[in-house]
Amino acid sequence: MTYVKEGVVTIVQESRFQLTDDNGVSHLFLLDRNAAAEPAQLAPLQARQARVRVTYEPARNLIGLVARSVRLLPPSQAR
Amino acid sequence: MNMHPRALEHAYSTLDHVIPNESELTAGVRIEAGRSYGFFTDTTVCIGCKACEVACKEWNNLPADNIGLTGQSFDNTGALSANSWRHVAFVEKSGANGLRGGQDQKFQSGWLMMSDVCKHCHNAPCLEACPTGALFKTEFDTVVVQQDICNGCGYCVPACPFGVIDVSTVDGKAHKCTLCYDRLKGGLEPACAKSCPTDSIQFGELSDLQIRAAERVEHLHGIGVDSAYLYGTPGAPGATGDLGHLNAFFLLIDRPEVYNLPAAPTRPANRVAPSLATGLATVAALALASAFLFAPQRGERP
Repeated sequence: MTYVKEGVVTIVQESRFQLTDDNGVSHLFLLDRNAAAEPAQLAPLQARQARVRVTYEPARNLIGLVARSVRLLPPSQAR
Repeated sequence: MNMHPRALEHAYSTLDHVIPNESELTAGVRIEAGRSYGFFTDTTVCIGCKACEVACKEWNNLPADNIGLTGQSFDNTGALSANSWRHVAFVEKSGANGLRGGQDQKFQSGWLMMSDVCKHCHNAPCLEACPTGALFKTEFDTVVVQQDICNGCGYCVPACPFGVIDVSTVDGKAHKCTLCYDRLKGGLEPACAKSCPTDSIQFGELSDLQIRAAERVEHLHGIGVDSAYLYGTPGAPGATGDLGHLNAFFLLIDRPEVYNLPAAPTRPANRVAPSLATGLATVAALALASAFLFAPQRGERP
């Protein structure tokens, strides 16, 4: 079962990142090994404070979420 | 009260900029590339507050793992892992080899607590085992995994004699303490050492730390804690088997095994030559035996 969250990437460490949603709530994501994104692509997203859409699943035995894909939202969809 | 002269430069509690070389104020050391840095963990003053664990997870954005009860007293992380780069061990025992020995109340136990971490070995076996070069020595003499190069082969996991490094089941890459490489580059003290309320974890230049640790051991011996010794300094337990020395070393008051540390860790690379020689000798012996067994006997036609 996959879910979707939108927000701004606020912290990046290796393949882990924090997404702050529109309500100001922060969520910890871990990039999945088969994700449609590379860890090296996360830092520029954080630097640009770009709005992204993350498809994710809950992680097993971790308080975190496993990101399956990270998609950059076009400027028109950005708030 | 001893105050660093540079503290006077920052009289206000709200700052509009990052303090340059902040580690001078918090750890009394200026971080410069080309020097050797590490941790001195004095377990005799560890109170098991886990501030180091929390600070590490907070700074490195690491998720909490091992959800549920471990059944191991106050230990909830259990062990070092891909997501827990600091682990506070709680060892419950009666008395503590000189510390509070015989003074415990009947209803109390003695506790040995130690904040375990990657040892950043001088001759790091994980680094030697890495086939891609993802593990490297930084300009601060620490050992770090480059995530974009790690292919998740996991060779480093059995190579580490301390069981520190681990491959994440989520991203499939090896993870361990970086000794806050990013903070060091910014002139900041590592998060765990900065958060330690009792200075059980001390960060600094390795030569200074080793002197400080030797003085601490001498002081403890002077007040009757004869069991105090260093683990990981040159020539001491923990720095065996060609590891050289450990950049993260410990002051212990019981056998290393009590703290879940190996008594005599070694580099697996030391066993390559004997293993190869044994293998070659075995092949030669088998060849010789088969030559004798299957060679034509006297009088037999070939």
